[in-house]
Amino acid sequence: MSKNKYSFVGRDIERVDADVKLLGKAVYGDDLSFADMLYGVMIRSPYPRARIKSIDISAVEDDKDFVRVITASDILGKNGWPVLDDTYPFLVSDIAEFHSQPVAILVAKNNFKARELAKKVNVVCDKLDFNDDIFESMKDKKNIFSNFVVKKGNALEEIKKCEYVVEKEFHTNYQVHSYLEPQVATGVFSDDGTITVYSSTQCPFYILDAVCAVTGFTANKVRIIQTVTGGGFGGKEDVPALVGAHAALASYITRKPVRICYDRAEDFRAMSKRHPSYSKVVYGADKNGRIKACIVKYILDGGAYSTLSPLVLWRGTIHAAGPYDIDNVLIESYAVKTNKVPCGAFRGFGQPQISFSTESLIDDLAEKIGMDPLDFRLKNILKKNSLTATSQKITESIGLSDLIKTVRKNSNWYNRKNLTPSSPNKKRGLGCSIAYYGVGLGAKGKLLDRAGAYLNVYKDGSVCINIGNTEMGQGAFTVLSQIASEMINCPIKNIRFAEVDTSKVPDSGPTVASRTTLMSGNAIIEAAKPIRKNIFKTAYDMLKLSGGKGIMIASDGLFSMGDKVVKFNDVIKECFNKRMKMSEQGWYVSPDTSFNIENGQGEAYIVYSYAANIADVEIDTETGVIDVKKIYSAFDVGRVVNPSLAMGQAQGGVLQGMSWAVYENLVINDGVMKNPGFTDYIVATSLDMPDYDIEFVEKYYSNGPYKAKGLGELPLIAVSGAVRNAVKNAAGIDITYLPLLPEKNLKLIKLRNNNR
Amino acid sequence: MINEAVKYYSLNELWKNIKKLSPKRRYIAGGSDIVISHHYDDLNTDLLVDISDIKELNIVKETSDSVFIGAAVKISEFKKNNIIKRYIPALYECVDYYASPSVRNIATLGGNLVNSSPCADGVLALVASGARVVRNLYGKQKLSDIFDVIIGPKKTSLKKDELIEGFIVPKWEHRAVFLKMMPRKIFGISKAGLCVCANLKGNLFKDIRISASSVGPAVIDCKKTSRFLTDKDITNDIINKAKDIISCEISPIDDHRSTADYRREITAVFLQRAIEKFVV
Repeated sequence: MSKNKYSFVGRDIERVDADVKLLGKAVYGDDLSFADMLYGVMIRSPYPRARIKSIDISAVEDDKDFVRVITASDILGKNGWPVLDDTYPFLVSDIAEFHSQPVAILVAKNNFKARELAKKVNVVCDKLDFNDDIFESMKDKKNIFSNFVVKKGNALEEIKKCEYVVEKEFHTNYQVHSYLEPQVATGVFSDDGTITVYSSTQCPFYILDAVCAVTGFTANKVRIIQTVTGGGFGGKEDVPALVGAHAALASYITRKPVRICYDRAEDFRAMSKRHPSYSKVVYGADKNGRIKACIVKYILDGGAYSTLSPLVLWRGTIHAAGPYDIDNVLIESYAVKTNKVPCGAFRGFGQPQISFSTESLIDDLAEKIGMDPLDFRLKNILKKNSLTATSQKITESIGLSDLIKTVRKNSNWYNRKNLTPSSPNKKRGLGCSIAYYGVGLGAKGKLLDRAGAYLNVYKDGSVCINIGNTEMGQGAFTVLSQIASEMINCPIKNIRFAEVDTSKVPDSGPTVASRTTLMSGNAIIEAAKPIRKNIFKTAYDMLKLSGGKGIMIASDGLFSMGDKVVKFNDVIKECFNKRMKMSEQGWYVSPDTSFNIENGQGEAYIVYSYAANIADVEIDTETGVIDVKKIYSAFDVGRVVNPSLAMGQAQGGVLQGMSWAVYENLVINDGVMKNPGFTDYIVATSLDMPDYDIEFVEKYYSNGPYKAKGLGELPLIAVSGAVRNAVKNAAGIDITYLPLLPEKNLKLIKLRNNNR
Repeated sequence: MINEAVKYYSLNELWKNIKKLSPKRRYIAGGSDIVISHHYDDLNTDLLVDISDIKELNIVKETSDSVFIGAAVKISEFKKNNIIKRYIPALYECVDYYASPSVRNIATLGGNLVNSSPCADGVLALVASGARVVRNLYGKQKLSDIFDVIIGPKKTSLKKDELIEGFIVPKWEHRAVFLKMMPRKIFGISKAGLCVCANLKGNLFKDIRISASSVGPAVIDCKKTSRFLTDKDITNDIINKAKDIISCEISPIDDHRSTADYRREITAVFLQRAIEKFVV
């Protein structure tokens, strides 16, 4: 890393929200309190598919705490949640398409009582046949939510000419976001004819759209305020809009504030998940070990409604050939309807599933050719001026080759055969994987790829910033404070980010796609530029007037010239004395890209971040249990704005990726979830953490704020492939499924032993 | 809906008052099971009777030939108590595998038994240790076998208001091995568990008691396997035969936590590993 010339950017600044969170002062959605507040509990479909006939409230209607039940017929606007399409009804009016789909809202005066009463409400319905299998479902074209093609060169012809060809099918299971704070929203209808919704969310503007739709209100009468959000990971992207719309509707109808806070089981059953996937991948290489062709069929199980599946599928499709320079690529992908919980956004957004397949198969191809898997990757990866699968030329900021060399060195890769297992019944091995990640929403989501910021400097030197992207635990407000501080040379402690409020800032798109540092960062820079000019000019004049000589240095909130120094706050006072404009709007629009959706060719994303991982894994050959001992990772995310926070994101992402690969196993039998809670849905804990060896290699991106790209999702994406390859290298078993449950692993070990 | 809770500090006080309470009353000790049940199921109760601090239920004491452990003694106490460490090594060993550190600080051994789950770690240790149960109803004590109390998954023979006062564990010379297959490294319900308490003289098991969890409708006292291994010279052949016997003695099922085949396999692997730990 070169010497850092900045006072704030690139520094380990303590999280700006550390105190409120550590001291328990943060006010989460369920901590808010309003006079006369009522409580809503969802009444849900008891079957995976059912024709709803009526809601029988005879067992609860005389209860003193019962207020009313709200059904589809009470909806004032349109009974269709606008999320890409509007097929998902806010409340079922006819046929429920998955178990636990919302059918009605029971409103009661008491929180605990509301849950008890809800259990006694009888959903009168006819149980209908349902379909939980993607292949069965695909037979009817109506069940395909979306499909995409990426076609570069002629993969079908080229694969026939390849010296080495590998082909395999892969399956991955769900992943649950496991945010600690469940979904929660409070709707507050006011006598002035407006509705305010307080929500735990990544995307307040999605809620705005949903509340307008369900109530029929115009947008200027609806206000969404984000409450402190206890984790998201994509699970608070689209679905909080459903919760918020229900709370808003209930509040409007009852004329009282209404809180809806999910319990863990219903959050599991009804909220979005990472899509289960099927893929069939073929790679072909020539005799020199150059990959010549790649053919992918990729299918996502979308669940009962389309929601974000098309966007998730698109990102997965674009990245489905892996970060390799391949002349002939054919990718076909499908998102398919089944009568299960609708799947949606999850950190990685359609990439981790296909990355597992391609990184597994690339390793198998290297083995078939007889090449070292890292050398094989180095020979074939995207480099400067390479063309991606969509024929996009990589022109700058590409660190992939350096990343691979970094993890190779850190893991002592060439010594891997000498690693000893911790006991005789165990085998140990290293495995590698790499990934790239298109930062931002890409060509498919470019209409949403803009962001606004409002920066207001007060005369006492304090600063308030409104942005449209959210803090959900990832550290956005800290990183963005650093960018703002750097721009106007303001002490970090002077800055406060206001809670995101849709009435105070323009629609800035969702807080997803690792785009917040880039988009809101650039919007803040735009807002700060004129203010910076005022501040720096005023400081210069003040220093000159006091006899300063030489050039002015601005650093750490101080302005100096020779031995003369003025403080930020004093400069601000002077700016106000001069009646300067000290508040500004900033607006950043992502650079335009050209992309042809018909053949999947063109500029898919503005820039890519890169990852390389090596996993050190042990497997017990008598029990099939996998122990991920250590993960070596290296990431290129452009400039690292806050090294400590970046390391936290990286470690968390790696662990979440490992957890998905090794433990997380959501079981749905006959359309009903069997383990909707943390007792039996197993997530890695801090005690399951592997050792980490993580490095950042900064390859600057010219259009990024201080040359940063995006980080949030990248660390998770390819971990599963590294773990799988390590197990293969340790025990010689060919794993094509996730999670790597010991039950399945042991079967493969036995099969292998029997075949010997 | 639970509207009320009452708390008593002695058995006398409890028996004097209990009949006056709501007919839907239920006991709560640690609450690590009943609170969760309350959240998801209809417990049909409106009153919890807190017995966690009843003094008779919080005692660990020894006589010349046995140890009494009160039913409300917290699981984490087992690690700190020298009597338990000395005479009931299985309970001492099980603590590190038992739920999570925070749950160990509230959960009780009596609760573990009355919850009557096939995966109960505490019961697994008690069975292999040869423990018996002291029941108490309105002041009348009764000693019974663990398997007279457990009559099925989540079912016990306890009468209304009857509670577990504690456990009597005989003192006998032995060591213990406690093995648990968890779904991750720590914090999890077992896919299969095995506890072996045994007294090895030379290469012979003089006394041996084996119990298995999560492989049947309740914790299993593996008497056949135990009998087979008693007074046997430990050879590879004997170990393999014992593995076959225990595989037949258990009756695991497929569920969302694991598969019957895997559970059977692991129980046999655990038996081998446990025996090897004694021999080494």
